[in-house]
Amino acid sequence: MTATTDAPAPAPPSANRRRADWFKGNRTRMMVIVVLVFLFGTALLGIDSGDWLVTILRSLSVAAVTFLVASGLSLIFGLMDVLNLAHGELFMLGAYVGWTVYVRPDTFVDALVPLGIMTAAFALLPLWRRMVKHLTMSPRLWRVMTWVVALVGLGVVILALTWFPFAKWNPDVYAESPITYSIALDTGIPSNITPAEFDVTPVVAFVVLLIGSALVAGAVALSQVRRDPGARTEVKPSTWAAAAGLLAFAVIVAVGNTAITDWLFGLSTTWLFFIALAVATLFGAAAGAFIEVTMIRPLYARPIYQLMLTLGLAFIILELVRYVWGRAEFTMPAPAAFNGAGEGCPASGVGGIFSGCRILEIGDSRIRIYNELFVPLVGLIVLVGVSLLLKRTRIGMVIRAGVQDSEMVEALGINVRRVFTMVFALGVALAALGGVIAAPSVGLSPEMGARFLLLALIALAIGGLTSFPGAAAGALLVGLIQQFVIKYGQVGIDLPFMDEPFKPSPPLVPASAVILMVVILLLLPNGLFGREDR
Amino acid sequence: MSNILELRDVQTFIGRFHILEGVSLDVPEGEIVALLGRNGAGKTTTLKTILGLTPAREGELLFEDVDLSGRHSYDIAAMGIGYVPENRAIFGDLSVEENLRIAERKKGDLARKSDFIFGLFPDLERLIKLSGTKLSGGQQQMLAVARALVPDNRLLLIDEPSEGLAPVIIEQMMEAIRALSKDTTVLLVEQNFIVASRLAARYVIIEEGRSVKSGAMADLVDDDEAIKRYLGAA
Repeated sequence: MTATTDAPAPAPPSANRRRADWFKGNRTRMMVIVVLVFLFGTALLGIDSGDWLVTILRSLSVAAVTFLVASGLSLIFGLMDVLNLAHGELFMLGAYVGWTVYVRPDTFVDALVPLGIMTAAFALLPLWRRMVKHLTMSPRLWRVMTWVVALVGLGVVILALTWFPFAKWNPDVYAESPITYSIALDTGIPSNITPAEFDVTPVVAFVVLLIGSALVAGAVALSQVRRDPGARTEVKPSTWAAAAGLLAFAVIVAVGNTAITDWLFGLSTTWLFFIALAVATLFGAAAGAFIEVTMIRPLYARPIYQLMLTLGLAFIILELVRYVWGRAEFTMPAPAAFNGAGEGCPASGVGGIFSGCRILEIGDSRIRIYNELFVPLVGLIVLVGVSLLLKRTRIGMVIRAGVQDSEMVEALGINVRRVFTMVFALGVALAALGGVIAAPSVGLSPEMGARFLLLALIALAIGGLTSFPGAAAGALLVGLIQQFVIKYGQVGIDLPFMDEPFKPSPPLVPASAVILMVVILLLLPNGLFGREDR
Repeated sequence: MSNILELRDVQTFIGRFHILEGVSLDVPEGEIVALLGRNGAGKTTTLKTILGLTPAREGELLFEDVDLSGRHSYDIAAMGIGYVPENRAIFGDLSVEENLRIAERKKGDLARKSDFIFGLFPDLERLIKLSGTKLSGGQQQMLAVARALVPDNRLLLIDEPSEGLAPVIIEQMMEAIRALSKDTTVLLVEQNFIVASRLAARYVIIEEGRSVKSGAMADLVDDDEAIKRYLGAA
């Protein structure tokens, strides 16, 4: 670097001075944090130390799952000003997808074939755009045709899907219900899963599904060309390759179905769990990208419509999950590496973490390794990973800049829309990952989405809506307050002027998070890490 | 002399409001052209329309003889147009260095241009690690101009560079714009007529969304009547 200035540069403020300024600017924030730390610290006096440690770890566990939902919500809201109300249901959907891969790998393999075919049709979007570009229709007819093609296509897709083997699965029959499969996996007694058959010749099902998907993709192309006549219409060789690859993948899976299924059933549940994590995360990313491109993108000029669209999407996903997996709540067994109960269990001491036991005893604390150590660890890994992505990479720099002013980022020559799609995909992927991580500890139910969406929204309000560290801090506080209220519901607090210890009743558990949010927002209207201008 | 930018009868709507009702202008390559007019005449909208941020509904926009209509903003910017907006739009969460690096279109743009940029604005080199929010108004303005200089832009759209700055900083800013205009064509929106008249060789006046008068700046400076009529005070 070259020094070019003649005038002596004013000395930069000393480190001490800067530190003093920082504390001055953050006085309220510091005081709130100190008070909260004090409150949770004094809890150590009322609760015996073993319980206290477990309560803290449980708080971290709830915080980690809340954070996985809140982080994506915050990134999406910050960058695109879209409050994605479907985020909770996508988290839940991730859990169900993960459960399916984990407990019913056969169904997962069956589902890969139609999935490959449908994505192949969408991979060819530039081709469909090119085909519809030269149509001449009045704008009104164009709109009508878009809907007609979309609905006909959807009808064909649904019809074709009912021919596939996985459609034979009826979760309302007890022998086929998710609960039965979960218990079978947990006890190691295999349930009698018999491979279902196609209703028609498989090739017919494949071709009809491909035609239906092409129609749906064609409707998307119609809508894209109407809105943006400059949309890309050249069909690159890579587009052909992607579509051909997806189709080939579908065919290979269809042919090798039995072999792949047997291989997955032969794996230990630990491996299967990590495969389930990866599949659900990828599924979340794909679902996020799909939702952003086809539904959110046309509505950036109309934020209210976007909000209503995500709300509607939430209900659709909720009903879809109830239809496919049933309404009942069920469990997901923890992977083998965290589920041991035989000889040598429960393990004791810090070295027992890798013992494969379900429970670890440290001092007086009985710690469930999966729920109370593994879940917080995943939350921490995601926190560090996404922070590094935001701070150290070019895309992260673009995201941080876009949160503030996406128009200016675009004016620098950066395709902000592509970044929007990526961030939406990332956010939904994190939620889906959170769903799978949470499933073995909190179970699966269609209501889990709404519950964690609410916690995540409270965490965001506490943390300052668009701040990523704020999402983490908010989630942590929400987890702590809830778990300590639960704990005090059991042991009671000695309050002055009261004869008996005060025991918070169960309804105070969800209420406590809201009360905490109200108190913090009264002191800091922008949340802990919020910026003044929002 | 060829024109790097030509607008022919450009019309822009924002929502239902008809903001530009017919703007035509030529920007000759290598010159500084000042876009003048009263508040709300449509100067800023003209710049945003060129960049496609508020797309034109009618009319023709040519940059280096390429039609800009229907293109995305990022595409237009990447053709070689830099933008220094009115509110400066510095990214507060990013450091000065990141604010410059984000404008790179090829790897190494900043390294190649840093001598030139820090030659114009020595202050920025000293503040390189500071976050955008910590800068003074003048420093933010310098950073906004510097950011537009990082990639190889052929045309800069600069909106109100002197607004809210102390006189001594305005002098420095004018010096910088004069220096950078040796390599880059500039279309300048400026309320301060004295600043505009000292910088620009040509002018275009916009009134109520229409371009009404254009020519050599030297002629306008002597035309008291036109100044009074279109720009208010002299």
